[in-house]
Amino acid sequence: MSKKVKIIYVDDEEVNVMLFEINFSVNFEVYSGCSGFEGLELLDKHPDVKVVISDMKMPKMNGIEFIKIAKERYPEKKFYILTGFEITEEIQDALQSGLIQKYFRKPFDIHEIENTIKEHCDLQE
Amino acid sequence: MFRNCNLHNSCTLGKIYLYMKLLRFEYSITILYLLIGGFWILFSDKILYLLINESSRLSEFQTYKGWFYVIITAIILFFFIKKHLNKRRHLEKELKEFQNLLEKKVKLRTEELETAIKHLRETQAQLIQSEKMASLGILTAGVAHEINNPLNYIMGSYVGLLRHYKENTFSDNPEQVGKLIDAMKIGIDRSSAIVQGLNQFSRKSDSYTEKCNVHEILENSLTMLNSLIKQHITVKKDFSASEIVIQGNIGHLHQVFINIIVNAVQSIESEGEITIKTEDNESDISIAITDTGVGIPKENLKKITDPFFTTKAPGEGTGLGLSISYNIIKEHKGKLIFESQEGKGTTVNVILAKSMNHEQESKNYLC
Repeated sequence: MSKKVKIIYVDDEEVNVMLFEINFSVNFEVYSGCSGFEGLELLDKHPDVKVVISDMKMPKMNGIEFIKIAKERYPEKKFYILTGFEITEEIQDALQSGLIQKYFRKPFDIHEIENTIKEHCDLQE
Repeated sequence: MFRNCNLHNSCTLGKIYLYMKLLRFEYSITILYLLIGGFWILFSDKILYLLINESSRLSEFQTYKGWFYVIITAIILFFFIKKHLNKRRHLEKELKEFQNLLEKKVKLRTEELETAIKHLRETQAQLIQSEKMASLGILTAGVAHEINNPLNYIMGSYVGLLRHYKENTFSDNPEQVGKLIDAMKIGIDRSSAIVQGLNQFSRKSDSYTEKCNVHEILENSLTMLNSLIKQHITVKKDFSASEIVIQGNIGHLHQVFINIIVNAVQSIESEGEITIKTEDNESDISIAITDTGVGIPKENLKKITDPFFTTKAPGEGTGLGLSISYNIIKEHKGKLIFESQEGKGTTVNVILAKSMNHEQESKNYLC
């Protein structure tokens, strides 16, 4: 595994995006966007991305709405939510229907997220 | 014959007695006196002449007759007046007792009323508090998210800096370290602002002379409601260029604006806009909060500030929010005006007096 795993991160808050990039770029190749629309563009541009992590509460299109569209186009990719909220009904439904694999809570636990991505990629290989 | 006459006499006497009873005391006593005196004058001498033949003893008996008259009338008047006065005294006594009873009753009722009013005041205070707690309940979920976000900044910075400290990860890109440190500061400032906002809302002060920065209060309220404001709602701020500072109660004003904004958010079913416009006028200031929500039906518009009026399901709203807001604004010598069109939206206009300036002006004038 000399090549870094490519991941997409979507969050409407600039500081979150910046911090995610700095921290996760060490082990992964991170592409990030500030909205679901940008997330969809990034997915089209980088077909070899394996993992998508999205914030939940964003203007116009929330995380689950974004993932619903993305999952239809790219059913093989794995999607995760990173949210500051306690688990909501919407997230619960998404977990049960298999739309998302897991939901992470803010403040994030870098080991939990990194391990989850690594496990997922090991499974695929 | 004698008997009949007697009977007849007693009948007329009875009638007279009854008649006198109906008359006022002063009339009846005068009539009685006239009757006795009149009869005495008419008949007493005749009787005396019939009984006494000796004219020498006549004048002696005339004196006895005089004495007799005086004693008899005195006795009759004594009993008559006594009877009348007894009745009076009895009535007076009864009246006094009745008065005492009444006073006792009034005192008891007043005490009951006072406790009832006290109880009402306590209940009102409790209701105001519970409405505040209900708003706080709405806020808590949102605030938790709002605090988790800046905590996420701090966590991100910590993770990055720790890695750099252990593995020198960013020694090639020192600017990354600077970014991490900046992010930590932003995170701390933001969480502290939120906590401060919450403190402003829940502060317990009854003073209406605090310096209230209206824009700060509005920003604060929006911060606390940030996560409640759904992703499909755009908030537009059209604030006056200058700062607006009025005299009032900071905590209570927070309660009002949070209440109005929560209503605006809840009135928007899917997509919409909330505009907050502030104006600094000569004698007052106005804050207009307009939403593009469902609006309020005309028949409800008059009732929305009534206590306990709510269109929400039982248990979902206390129906006290706007009633309390209305009272708070009244305490600020302001006005709360609602304009609404069903299906188009609602504008809540909060007009607040610049009370402090007024007082200063009048004071200056007095000087």
